[in-house]
Amino acid sequence: MIGDSSYDRMLQECLKGELRIVNAGLPQNRKSLSALLGEEYPHVKCSDSGVHSFKRKELEYLASLINANEQAALLLPILIELGANKAEAAVICQTGIEEEIISKILNMPAQPKNRRITIYKPQLTLLRKVLKTTTQYMFTQKILK
Amino acid sequence: MSQLIKVRPTKIELVKLKRKLTLAQRVQKIVKDRLSILTMEFLQTARDTIEAKKNLVDSFSSAYKALSIASGYHGYIALEKELIASETDLRITAGSRNIAGVRIPSFELPEKEKEKPIRRYNLSDTSSWVDHAAQLSKRCLKHTVELAELQRSLELLGMEINRTKRITNALEHMIIPSLEVTINYLNMKFEERDREEKARLKRVKVLLAQE
Repeated sequence: MIGDSSYDRMLQECLKGELRIVNAGLPQNRKSLSALLGEEYPHVKCSDSGVHSFKRKELEYLASLINANEQAALLLPILIELGANKAEAAVICQTGIEEEIISKILNMPAQPKNRRITIYKPQLTLLRKVLKTTTQYMFTQKILK
Repeated sequence: MSQLIKVRPTKIELVKLKRKLTLAQRVQKIVKDRLSILTMEFLQTARDTIEAKKNLVDSFSSAYKALSIASGYHGYIALEKELIASETDLRITAGSRNIAGVRIPSFELPEKEKEKPIRRYNLSDTSSWVDHAAQLSKRCLKHTVELAELQRSLELLGMEINRTKRITNALEHMIIPSLEVTINYLNMKFEERDREEKARLKRVKVLLAQE
């Protein structure tokens, strides 16, 4: 028999820690693409008080896909929501510019539903290959239900 | 076989165990999802590392080739004398990013550094062969920085995958089964108590009827 002892408590803490870890890298506040392009070291602060750095090469690539007005409206990093369904993920589309970027990168029409563009694992791999630092994973409460 | 957890057979303990089971199942879902994301990123990083290594080997081989031509043209000692003063400070932008809870380093050569040629040697005493070798060595630098980032990312992701796998296995094969077994054991114990209680009441009823 396993005792309900310090080992059990440690296990519970460890499990709760896992929940904290997964979303530790989320940004405290997002910045627009034009603002980031103006910074010497483009970065945003994370919820765990760390720093998420952007690569200038990626920012310039994104800037080449959209016009100046859209650059000022696009907030980075783009959030990728992971839901309960393991086969798919959703790109959170707040401004509509994300839709344009996703369709250009994945070379397919992207239709947002409830402000979310659903993409599948192979498309997610492709998206992450191109936008390594300008996208960020987000584990939502939906996964817990 | 999963082990029973040592608890007092009370209803409160059963409720507590059920809560623990729900938490463990939720965490298992998250950890499994995290593991699949980490594996996906690991495979992508491994592919990128192979490509970066290939680029690095190619650029180093062409740079060495250019350097050997330059040393053949100028003579090894003369070239060494020229290049000894060509050391230059290197600036790299270092940052970090987070992939599903893993902090990954991010290195980038600033544009100014990429454009700045390594030319501290005397231009009048050297030929274009040396310029060409210097230009190619700049490319080596770029690929080295890229590979450094990828290699470290690969190591960190690998370590985190191992850790997450251990947690997943512990949840799947130890924690959840033992919680389920204990809950079943407690449920059976309570049912048995109910049955005993009913039998006792029936016996009491019979005794009362006989009197």
